[in-house]
Amino acid sequence: MRLFWQLTKTSFQRHLTYRTAALAGLMTNFFFGILRAAIFVALYDLQTEVEGITLEGAITYAALGQAMIGYLSLFSWFELMNTIYTGDIASDLLKPMNYFGFWMAQDLGRAAVNFALRGVTVMIGYAFIFDLVWPRGVTRIFAVAVSLLLSWLISFSWRFLINLFSFWTPNARGILRFFFVLSWFFSGFLMPLRFFPQWVISISYLMPFPHMFNTVIEIYLGVLKGPEIILALFHQVLWVLGLILAGQLVLRLGIRRLVILGG
Amino acid sequence: MFQTINLYRRLIGVQIRSQMQYRFSFFMELAGTALITLLEYAALALVFARFETLKGWTLGQVAFLYGLAELSFGVMDLVFSGFDPGLFGWQVRRGRLDQLLLRPVNITLQVLGSEFMLRRIGKIVVGFAIFLAALSMNPIDWTPLKVLLTSLVVVSQVIFFGGLFMIGATITFWTVESIEVVNIFTYGGSYMISHPMHIFPDIIRRFFTFIIPAVFLNYYPALYILELPDPFDMPAFAPFLTPVAGAWMLALALAFWRFGIRHYQSTGT
Repeated sequence: MRLFWQLTKTSFQRHLTYRTAALAGLMTNFFFGILRAAIFVALYDLQTEVEGITLEGAITYAALGQAMIGYLSLFSWFELMNTIYTGDIASDLLKPMNYFGFWMAQDLGRAAVNFALRGVTVMIGYAFIFDLVWPRGVTRIFAVAVSLLLSWLISFSWRFLINLFSFWTPNARGILRFFFVLSWFFSGFLMPLRFFPQWVISISYLMPFPHMFNTVIEIYLGVLKGPEIILALFHQVLWVLGLILAGQLVLRLGIRRLVILGG
Repeated sequence: MFQTINLYRRLIGVQIRSQMQYRFSFFMELAGTALITLLEYAALALVFARFETLKGWTLGQVAFLYGLAELSFGVMDLVFSGFDPGLFGWQVRRGRLDQLLLRPVNITLQVLGSEFMLRRIGKIVVGFAIFLAALSMNPIDWTPLKVLLTSLVVVSQVIFFGGLFMIGATITFWTVESIEVVNIFTYGGSYMISHPMHIFPDIIRRFFTFIIPAVFLNYYPALYILELPDPFDMPAFAPFLTPVAGAWMLALALAFWRFGIRHYQSTGT
């Protein structure tokens, strides 16, 4: 366990050195967030509440989406894939540590830096421009925190799993990109899932994606209440367990066919 | 002239052949590009059932803007992929540009021919499909002038955003790394003109009217073609400023690019 925290710390420090890049990304986050907020204002027009989400809620959703891009690495993550292609995976597998834990520790460091540098700053910045919704009450804040942590766990286990495709094909980048694209739509990142027709919502919930983004949003905005929150968190936990298990199975199959060329 | 075209064709040919080597991966990337364009549009189109209009604009009217913007940006991204600031910055860092500069061929042509991302065809096809869907949703009285204007819209957007790509690429001569702010104008600009401009805050709309004239690329031609009233009382010739905006940006970009090439200092790698 000490090794785990040590890796997290090292990764945290390494990602901190990219802070200028993170801050440069903020401007783009802001601009897109403002455009998306304007689209919600135009869609709502004279309505005040749609599907349990107020206009302020929808604008807050736009801000939260931009704030979570870095934290969940929503756009891409090819790090594990690259080590399979370079052969670095050989030395990683020899390390006296569980391979999943090895990557998880590093991703935790990455997520923490992005949460602080991009997540919090984006929300503070938006608070200056718009009236945002903030979660009220100790229980709700606690539920949001738990849900956020679970969403990172789902996101990481899922990214770990799909990166393992690289064991089977020499160019997995295209496949991974395809999965990321699916996740933008079905996680509710492009639009809150509630605004879609029922059949789209039903399809989404067959996948892990809503649980890594939409659930956090619905708990944060207060769309889910009381027992619904507990049920949503429970579903998140199930997906974490399922994805970790799938990752372990696929990893075992992959290692069996792994050939490292020396040199 | 003939030699130039021939050379360009051969450079592109090499690109196409190399991208077709990993066929499965290529088709996955093509499908991925098509899918993101489709899903982004679907996310907007599907919520129209709940909201009905985008500040007065129907789905068909928005789809008209959306299809044209996606189609044009896809064509631009295909033709100008050599100038994609992110990719170009990488070439500068690796010293690849030095190699190109040593060859006795026009540098602009070489950079244009250095990349040709075929997977962008996915975006072009879906953009065109959205445009066709928009035509079926809007009763348009086609006149020869409207047909001409529609084709000018595509060409102008291609050279406008191509120009912005060239400016972004040229900046990497000094910064080496591609700068994020450029994305606001390229991807942000294209995203913005996919929607009716009257929904955006005044300050942003004015900036994209008087400083970066993106409002004339899509919104004003659409007002003319769909015969919608202009909420900002611009002169009646505003829809026809499209090619002016495009040509102005490309001319500016070419001048800046030439200036950059003259002052280029290698990174030494």
